[in-house]
Amino acid sequence: MTSYTRSNAWNQGGTFDNPDLLWYAKGVGALMARALNDRNSWWFFAAIHGEYLPGTPNQQSGYPGWQAIPPTPTVPTTPLPSQSDMDSFWDQCQHQSWYFPPWHRGYLIALEGQIRKAVIELGGPSSWALPYWNYLGPGNQYKIPPAFTQKYMPDGKTPNPLFVTARYGPRGDGDIYVPVPPVSGACMGNTIYTGSNAATPRPGFGGPKTGFWHGGGASGNLESNPHNQVHVDVGGELPSGDLWGLMSDPGIAALDPVFYLHHANIDRMWAHWNAIGNSNPTSPDWLKGPAAAGEREFVMPMADGSAWTYTPQDVTDLGALDYTYDDLAAAKPLPAARGTLAIRMKKLGAAEMATQAPDPGKDTAVESELVGSHDGALQITSSGARAEVRLDPEARGKLSNSLRSASLEALPDRAYLQLENVRGTRDAQKLQVYVNEQLAGTVALFGLRRASMPDLDHGGSGLTFELDITQVIDTLHLENRLDTDALDVRILPSHAVAADEPISVGRISVYRESHR
Amino acid sequence: VSERERARRRIAVGALLLSACGWGLYLSAPADALGQPLCRSGAGMSWPGSVALIDGASFGALAAGWASMLLAMMAPTLVEPVLHVHQRSFRRRRGRSILCFALGYGAVWMLAGVLLLALQLLSGIAPQSSLPAALAGAVALLWQCSPAKQRCLNRSHNHRELAAFGWAADRDAFGFGLGHGVWCLGSCWALMLLPMLLVHGHAAAMLAVTVLMVGERLEGPQPLRWRLRGLGKLIRIVSARMRQGPSWLREALRVERVAQGEVGRR
Repeated sequence: MTSYTRSNAWNQGGTFDNPDLLWYAKGVGALMARALNDRNSWWFFAAIHGEYLPGTPNQQSGYPGWQAIPPTPTVPTTPLPSQSDMDSFWDQCQHQSWYFPPWHRGYLIALEGQIRKAVIELGGPSSWALPYWNYLGPGNQYKIPPAFTQKYMPDGKTPNPLFVTARYGPRGDGDIYVPVPPVSGACMGNTIYTGSNAATPRPGFGGPKTGFWHGGGASGNLESNPHNQVHVDVGGELPSGDLWGLMSDPGIAALDPVFYLHHANIDRMWAHWNAIGNSNPTSPDWLKGPAAAGEREFVMPMADGSAWTYTPQDVTDLGALDYTYDDLAAAKPLPAARGTLAIRMKKLGAAEMATQAPDPGKDTAVESELVGSHDGALQITSSGARAEVRLDPEARGKLSNSLRSASLEALPDRAYLQLENVRGTRDAQKLQVYVNEQLAGTVALFGLRRASMPDLDHGGSGLTFELDITQVIDTLHLENRLDTDALDVRILPSHAVAADEPISVGRISVYRESHR
Repeated sequence: VSERERARRRIAVGALLLSACGWGLYLSAPADALGQPLCRSGAGMSWPGSVALIDGASFGALAAGWASMLLAMMAPTLVEPVLHVHQRSFRRRRGRSILCFALGYGAVWMLAGVLLLALQLLSGIAPQSSLPAALAGAVALLWQCSPAKQRCLNRSHNHRELAAFGWAADRDAFGFGLGHGVWCLGSCWALMLLPMLLVHGHAAAMLAVTVLMVGERLEGPQPLRWRLRGLGKLIRIVSARMRQGPSWLREALRVERVAQGEVGRR
């Protein structure tokens, strides 16, 4: 029996009748009353995730500089903590990395401890735990719990700390919801944390192998969808384009109290993924974290004044951390997780086979190879962009042969569409990508700004998005349309792209990935 | 171990072998020849006599010596950009694209070699003097701590897009090599000059500079500010691995074998 159970924020209709939300609001208010340089303050914790504070290397002249954030809340920009505190704690968040799930789990536990201490001091329950927002749940749960949209607490006069001005929603009109689809829980059908196999497109459920990684490159499947998409949907952007929501950008996202409910849900999904029988990496490079390889350590200020240094292996067992989720005991394998390969083989006309791949927990990728490319940069405007991805006959031939001769002994290739070196300054955007008029997927540009800055995190290389187009290619193959010189790729932004803040794509390419 | 990780390891092994070849060529050259450009300790290096020695044959030897030195020192620093070229090229063009990258990168350093070797020859004004090396050391230390050096290091982490087809692929790989070479030169010119001006111990200094250059590339992009940068991360990595002892190596080998399907999963 664990001490702390995280429950659904939509209990009691997601209003302040839900005591978890009521006490969360009071606790957030207490942390917001503390100074920026107080390790236990709301602001300090937001900066642990990422910041654009004046006087730091990340400072920005206008928005999203913290000095330009419109109240509510009124965000302090002074006094800055000591250089050593900033170097140790701030700008730690792990994105586009296999450390994404464990780093955020530790981050949640630390923040939750701070809130719980404040809740107890205010007379609340000692077992208080952070609620989660399951936007993929039934009924109205795709909407933000109403407690976050009220300007005042139930007494009608105390400002609601959960209310945030810069939260605009997917249409930019303040209606905060998560569009399902394209947001989905498809990643729960993955069977491998890092890598790829019949049920898992690369880079895997948890993310690609990296060192300490503050962003840039390609997101893991859990991070890509739903995580990134929910950030951008909830944050949104004003129709005028003047401001975008706090949640849309990792340097301001954790200032919004709904951030932690979103991440509690992401953490819940990871816990469920494990509970249905999937394994985390066993590599010491993951278990012992980046600090074991001489990089920055994961460290959080705790409510008792200590600094908690942790590694991924310290947080893999939720029960050992004295936590559970209210629905974890009922976790069952998703039907979609079974037989993915069998369904595909049947579609390709291969011989009858077992309902599941021989070893669903194994990375079966052997080699990846470029099949085609649209050479030259592409600018995405409000009306979108279109490109012809030219295919190399030799590599395309290998892909076709693999599909034609698919069997249990010779697994068919997977195929990916890659948007490389995507750069821009505005994260609050989603791109719908079509291949030969078939929807290949939707990507959210969360983290774009930071990954595009030459002196931050990723040296200005931008983000890379990889869409699994295996099914699209299978269909083209079956319709005898894969024997072509080029694929037609169309990219549509979710809303207007400002002329002075363009989004560029360095190259669009197609890769095949062979499996054994 | 992912397919990308396997490619990285293969490239790293290739880079180390090339570096070893560079060291072999460099160390096997006669110690008093101009073909071994770092040597200021031998006879005949006094200025202007040394300048008079540069005829066609010795220029070739000088260029070959400089190239072997570059191979020895720079190959281990190029694993990540070469991996980028490898991953973004058609399979049959990978070798060609990597060659184009290397030509672009090498061109920058060969041109820079003219200037650096000229400085070395100029230092012959004070033969057997430690003053030029001391001055170069001071400049290298200043540059090493400067925000300008950090800017160069940050830019060398930017891996640009590359065309895949035809001459555009060659052009882009060459251009990426040129660009990477420029930022690498901006980052390392002072460090490279220092061993060239030493009266004694230049080979040891070359080795130390190589380790330093590899070490500083292990760091990701950093904010632009004055700070001492260099071996910090490399030392932390080595000490962390040493603390883990043989268990780390055993575990790494086990993971490798699991990836290859030789042993069962835990």
